[in-house]
Amino acid sequence: MELRRYISRRLVQIVIIFFVILTVLFLLFRLAPGDPVSRMVDPDMTPEDSQRLIVQLGLDKPLGVQYFIYLKNFFTGHFGYSFHYGEPVVDIIWARLPNTILLFTTGIILSALVGVFLGKIASWHKGKKTDSIMTVGALVTHTLFLPWLALILIWIFAYKFSWFPINGMISEEVWLDPDSGFIAKSLDVLYHMVLPLSTLFLIHFGAYLLIMRSSMLETLKEDYILTARAKGLDEKTIRNKHAAPNAALPVVTSVGLSLAFSINGGALTETVFTWPGIGRELVFSVSQNDYPLAQASFLLIAIVVLLSNLVVDVLYAYLDPRIRY
Amino acid sequence: MHHMNRSKNRLSGSWVISILCVLMLMVSVHFSASNASAADILKMGVLEEPKTLNIWAAGDRWSLKILGLIYQPLYVRDPKTLDLVPWLAAAPPEFDPKNLCYTIKLKPARWSDGTELTSEDVAFTGRIIQEFKVPRYLSKWKFIKKIETPDKQTIKFYLSEPQAIFVSRTLTTPIVQKKQWEEVVNKVKGDEKPLRSLLRHKVKMPIGSGPFTLKDWRSGAYIYVVKNEIFFGSGKTISGHLLGPHIDGIIFKVYGTSDAAILALKKGSIDMFWWGIQPGYMEDLRANPDMEIFTNEKSALYYLGFNLRKPPFKDANLRRAAATLVGEDFIIKRILQGYGVKMYSIIPPGNTFWYCPDVPKYGVGLSREGRIKKAYQILSDAGYTWQIPPIDNSGNVVNGEGIMLPDGNLMEKFTILTPPADYDPHRAMCGMMMQEWLRMLGIPAYSKPMSFGALIEQVKVRRDFDAFILGYGSLSLDPDYLRNFFISTNDKTRGWNMSGYNNPAFDKIANQSAETMNRDERRKLIWEMQKMVMADVPYMPLYNPKLIEAARKGKFTGWVQMLGGVGNLWSFCQLKPL
Repeated sequence: MELRRYISRRLVQIVIIFFVILTVLFLLFRLAPGDPVSRMVDPDMTPEDSQRLIVQLGLDKPLGVQYFIYLKNFFTGHFGYSFHYGEPVVDIIWARLPNTILLFTTGIILSALVGVFLGKIASWHKGKKTDSIMTVGALVTHTLFLPWLALILIWIFAYKFSWFPINGMISEEVWLDPDSGFIAKSLDVLYHMVLPLSTLFLIHFGAYLLIMRSSMLETLKEDYILTARAKGLDEKTIRNKHAAPNAALPVVTSVGLSLAFSINGGALTETVFTWPGIGRELVFSVSQNDYPLAQASFLLIAIVVLLSNLVVDVLYAYLDPRIRY
Repeated sequence: MHHMNRSKNRLSGSWVISILCVLMLMVSVHFSASNASAADILKMGVLEEPKTLNIWAAGDRWSLKILGLIYQPLYVRDPKTLDLVPWLAAAPPEFDPKNLCYTIKLKPARWSDGTELTSEDVAFTGRIIQEFKVPRYLSKWKFIKKIETPDKQTIKFYLSEPQAIFVSRTLTTPIVQKKQWEEVVNKVKGDEKPLRSLLRHKVKMPIGSGPFTLKDWRSGAYIYVVKNEIFFGSGKTISGHLLGPHIDGIIFKVYGTSDAAILALKKGSIDMFWWGIQPGYMEDLRANPDMEIFTNEKSALYYLGFNLRKPPFKDANLRRAAATLVGEDFIIKRILQGYGVKMYSIIPPGNTFWYCPDVPKYGVGLSREGRIKKAYQILSDAGYTWQIPPIDNSGNVVNGEGIMLPDGNLMEKFTILTPPADYDPHRAMCGMMMQEWLRMLGIPAYSKPMSFGALIEQVKVRRDFDAFILGYGSLSLDPDYLRNFFISTNDKTRGWNMSGYNNPAFDKIANQSAETMNRDERRKLIWEMQKMVMADVPYMPLYNPKLIEAARKGKFTGWVQMLGGVGNLWSFCQLKPL
């Protein structure tokens, strides 16, 4: 009952926060210098052409009217048309979202699983060589500059050894081949995922390792671990069954939020690997003042982050019976 | 029980790693073995994919590059002479000066769906542009009073007034198929905003008359165009070029960065990178025996613009002094690393017919000291004074300070707006150099990089600035832009006269040039306009970068070099597999 009340309260908060985000986003893009039409530096465009385009895009209307249309569009599920693609924003986002989810969700889950596993081991061997190697390794990989790491991986594994493709998500050889079936095409995507996924993994797993390690070290000081030892349980059981599940709670929060933010893709990762996801579109839409596309992308991120915060809170109560709202 | 299930479900990290390694190995082996590709498919690297296949909405260069292979105009430029040559047209247009009428005969041609291309299609294209007032095209069609189609192969254009750009701009408009667009036009006509509906119309499969047709587009990955078997130019010689296409198709592969595309080129994943290569890559590419490098001039202009509406650049003497300080050798040798052409006029020297070589030039051949002395002379003669003059009593150059305007007031500091270095390092660097060169004369200049959108807004919309550095990477070969850039009627919000140049004598000649149909007579006027502009210096041309392109040797031959690079229609029609 208490949990239900908590969820209701949080949902009301989410609606209010979302409305604020909705308004701030609208103002942010309108107040930023430049507009989509003035960027068109084409001597063939006369001032009259520019004015006609401004009218067509609805940018001639007062800000209040534009805001009203924006709210109306949002509440009717219509996010408008991209200024540059001339297509409904929803179509553009839906076409790219699965690509982003595939790469980034896989990357985060993989990083989290490995990070938790290694963090557990590092904490168990605290102060020993294994711990030092893992901690330093995690710190180094986590602080690497992502585009640099990505380019190095491309240079070594795609260019020097030709093991993997330089970039992209699919090969034309496979997708233009009428004999290619579902399995071949799936394998092709998987093949293209290897380098971007490795980059994301190397950058992210260190953070989870460090969180898990520090959480485990705290947990190992708890009385119930002492009790487990006193009961004569073996070390592996104490580590894996008693300490690790409780120590993993902070990782759950971190993974939840990372998954939410993964919706926006990593603009850098997607750009370096030419991964056709939301991140690249986000950068493009902001740089080109494509308001409808940029707004919809940011709103999507806002919705997912707000909801996943709620999910993480509820999950906490489920994972840790001591937590009650 | 519940606890047990959770434990079971928790995958061990080591298992995940093992599974992943096996998968990677399996996939890698599978695809390394199946990397074969057809020899007569040209693979080109591009940085972005087209934004749209709707020709009326296409404004980005990538859409226009791809659509340029599909939709064709009546006339195109010869790669060597740059003269207009009949393409869809059978012969040069016949002009009837009495009725201001141009008659054009069409070659026998078919659309890619097999239907005949007729004069009705040409007239229909014009009607769309005029009825919907299609931006980018309307300015080239609005002076056409009437279009007649006496027969399937003949079109007559009646002009409301003489227009010099008719042949070079109107007749180079891509022609669309009436059959494909008529239904769309009828549908969107009744909409509240018909132009908006027309621009938003999604074209999945454009039907054109060009050498290639669209076969497949995988968004974010590649675009595949195949040879148009019924291309009107196949096997024919146009302007001395025997046309194919001799290749089966072209795959445009999308690479997000130049780094990735150049690696792909070196590796052999693509045959050509359809984008200008930065000079920094040249050493590496030149050392590669598989690489063929092409260097061509561009029809481009990068310039320093002044705001003539307010001090300090309201004074032409200050502009001339600033122009004298521009070290064009430094810009070409150091900033462009040798890959550039010096610019003395607004029209690039590569546009040989229209370029005027006799414009006033500033500081040419002078050393840095010589330039400072010359600029000092210009300003001193105009009444400028200094607290510390840049030339001491012995005639040596020193750091000048506290320059005062002829009215005795101290010159206030001003800014030179430039795009940021990550957008264009050359322009950002030119801004910094200009700042330093002006400061040597005691002029308080500050270079200020700002985002491209903000810079355009400041200069073109708000018109609140002192000086700026901008450029055009691909100017039309018709010099009408000279009129657009400097005629006083374009000194308005979003107008092309960004400097606010106002010279009635220039306006008169500019308007004359727009109406002069005789090419040689028009050239005299265009030359006169260039001389006027360079005497008043509302813009100071800085440089014209050369276009460096690279292709792999050994697979295809027949690249045609022309102003603007080898990625042109002539190349795609003549490339042959080796």
